[in-house]
Amino acid sequence: MANDLRASLTDLDVLVIGTRAGGAPLLARLASAGLRVAALEAGVRHKPAEMPTDEVAQASLFWMDERLSAGKDPLAFGRNNSGRGVGGSTLHYTAYTPRAQPDDFQLFQEFGEGVDWPLEYADLAPYYDEVEAFLGVSGPADYPWGPPRNQPYPHPALPLNGAALLMERACHELGLRTFPAANAALSRPQQQEGYGLRPACSNRGFCQAGCSTGAKASLDVTYLALAEARGAVIVSGAQVTNLIREGGRVVGAHYRQGDQMLSVRAERVVLAAGAIETPRLLLLGGLASGSGQVGRNFMAHVGVQVWGLMDDDLRPYKGIPGGLISEDTHRVPGLVGGYLLQSLGVMPVTYATQYARGGGAWGAALTEHLSHYNHVAGINVLGECLPYEHNFLELSNELDGRGLPKPRIHFSFGDNERRMSAHAEALMRELWARIGAREVWALPRAAHTLGTARMGHDPVSSVTDPFGRVHDEPGLWICDNSTFPSSLSVNPSLTQMALSLRTADALIGDLVTDWVRVGA
Amino acid sequence: MSATERDEILAALASPAVTAPTRAALLARLDARYERQHFTEAEFDRLRAVAVRLVPHDPAELDLSGLIDHRLQLRQTDGWRFADTPPDGQAYRELLAALPTNFEILAPEAQDATLHDLQRRHPHTFEDLLAELTEGFMAHPLTQYRFGYAGFMDAPGWPQVGPNELEAREIRYGK
Ligand SMILES: Cc1cc2nc3c(=O)[nH]c(=O)nc-3n(C[C@H](O)[C@H](O)[C@H](O)COP(=O)(O)OP(=O)(O)OC[C@H]3O[C@@H](n4cnc5c(N)ncnc54)[C@H](O)[C@@H]3O)c2cc1C
Ligand code: SF4
Repeated sequence: MANDLRASLTDLDVLVIGTRAGGAPLLARLASAGLRVAALEAGVRHKPAEMPTDEVAQASLFWMDERLSAGKDPLAFGRNNSGRGVGGSTLHYTAYTPRAQPDDFQLFQEFGEGVDWPLEYADLAPYYDEVEAFLGVSGPADYPWGPPRNQPYPHPALPLNGAALLMERACHELGLRTFPAANAALSRPQQQEGYGLRPACSNRGFCQAGCSTGAKASLDVTYLALAEARGAVIVSGAQVTNLIREGGRVVGAHYRQGDQMLSVRAERVVLAAGAIETPRLLLLGGLASGSGQVGRNFMAHVGVQVWGLMDDDLRPYKGIPGGLISEDTHRVPGLVGGYLLQSLGVMPVTYATQYARGGGAWGAALTEHLSHYNHVAGINVLGECLPYEHNFLELSNELDGRGLPKPRIHFSFGDNERRMSAHAEALMRELWARIGAREVWALPRAAHTLGTARMGHDPVSSVTDPFGRVHDEPGLWICDNSTFPSSLSVNPSLTQMALSLRTADALIGDLVTDWVRVGA
Repeated sequence: MSATERDEILAALASPAVTAPTRAALLARLDARYERQHFTEAEFDRLRAVAVRLVPHDPAELDLSGLIDHRLQLRQTDGWRFADTPPDGQAYRELLAALPTNFEILAPEAQDATLHDLQRRHPHTFEDLLAELTEGFMAHPLTQYRFGYAGFMDAPGWPQVGPNELEAREIRYGK
């Protein structure tokens, strides 16, 4: 077995590090093109049927190596962020999959602040179509925001739960449009190559602790299953500790599996370990240092949540937690960029710990509030975060359990984020007040990890080119949220999967050019 | 935990509406007790005295302080910490040491006054401890029963998800 694995890890065309939205679609694309590919994934496989409906027991879905949070708005990681496992954070994502809008990619052109992407919506549109069809995204006909669709969502929208229905009513009273959100969970069964039949969502509401039925399009049951069916090798429990550079090229990686230190080589290496671990590995190896941009411009979406206590018995554990959306606040006068509104179902421990952290209440006031869990409904926003000099990742002097320096992440809202957060909080408070919520409280917050190895045309101000090739490090590509030049005011995963397929096509082109050149 | 509470929790966990991995996780938690290993006896007594004020509970039913001791002994983290605080174990030790020496024998109202003061002086570590206790509290099957939480009985799915659309097993369970 060990020998088979070793044999399958020789003569690789491409090695991928990390199996989330950046790594997985690309792995499947390359394998389908007949390339010899393998992925190293730090986490293990989490089979749907073995997943308990319990948040604490599912903590192993998250990246728990300690990170240090600095700045005026220190970010919560752990259960609030990156994943660990075959499929990475898609194992725990809510599966909201809205597309970015065309103007998201051209923030600087529109406002003279932020940065423009080195690509346009039109470059991604065909990939968006492809990803949505493959995952089986459920969504409404006639979605009003963004350009008209070439094809309808593959499945009808999912049912709205209590929080979504209340938010819908409140928004309509205020004159805001809402629609059932695009969500990568199935409203009808779908056959998936390499996995089998994925059933329709049974409304069990635990998407953020792993979907035990396979209804949600996490990558293990979609692109990674396809990749393996087409011949890709996925090595789980394999954490890369350093990249190998020889003769001015990146040619492979060292990794730890159990207590063994191993290495693997390939023609090309794709770093897809997420916006914290990717720059951490680059900094550890002193790689891609030409632009001085590695670890810089760290961004996290404005993500304030507002919760209301309702008379209705809502059972927030039921139904798809990511149900309703409004993009009517995509542009707000006085702000650079804008935000979207999304309804929130919530699991009990997540709700309780957020309330404890955000509310500051303790003692009987805390437990009394928590006893009304069945009556809470939430709305959250996802808003533009500008790249700033003062937000960055660096290596600290403190070592983790594996002997590697812990990353320290500095994060403070700028003026635009503060004003956006205040605007959004006031709006959501008004929404809940409209429908007679008894108690309303807000959790100021930021979510998702973005930036830190931005793409661009100019090697002086960016780490990769518009396709993910690292400017000054032959052999190395990056394909994950770290290449985002600006945050986009939507959830990142769908866009990341589209980028992943686009990078894969460019990578195939590069390899073919090489082979033609050497006459192979 | 009264005998009735215990019986109802066990009956719910035994029902076919609960998947096998869910049942295993919750049964293990129902009676979990931990031997003190990380903190000294004096520190642990103080932690427990603080814990019952922060998140009111009966330590004989829910071993929330033991759970923290156990985690620290296993050197597990929750994936991050404030950069301006020392590692969790040390931070908690310092927090406990910052309380007046007679904390344990103060009247509850006086204890709460010192805790409010502690929250002002050490906001980050206080928040971490409060969140960790709250997690242990809310994840416990007894709390879930008392709060009428039925989300773990999800094997058949939830065909009705609108407000006030409850299944029989949701209406029946808890207080
Ligand atoms: C509760 C929650 C809900 C969310 N919901 C949504 C949603 O609805 N829609 C959406 O678009 N996004 C959602 N997200 C955001 C998104 O899924 C990611 O969590 C976020 O973008 C951060 O992921 P990451 O870039 O750190 O990558 P990760 O998910 O952490 O991916 C990195 C992968 O690489 C592996 N890896 C890392 N380092 C190494 C190494 N050295 N060697 C080998 N492997 C390695 C990791 O194990 C992991 O599998 C949600 C996030 C959370 C926490
Ligand atoms: S609500 Fe649907 S998609 Fe989410 S975990 Fe449950 S079955 Fe899976």
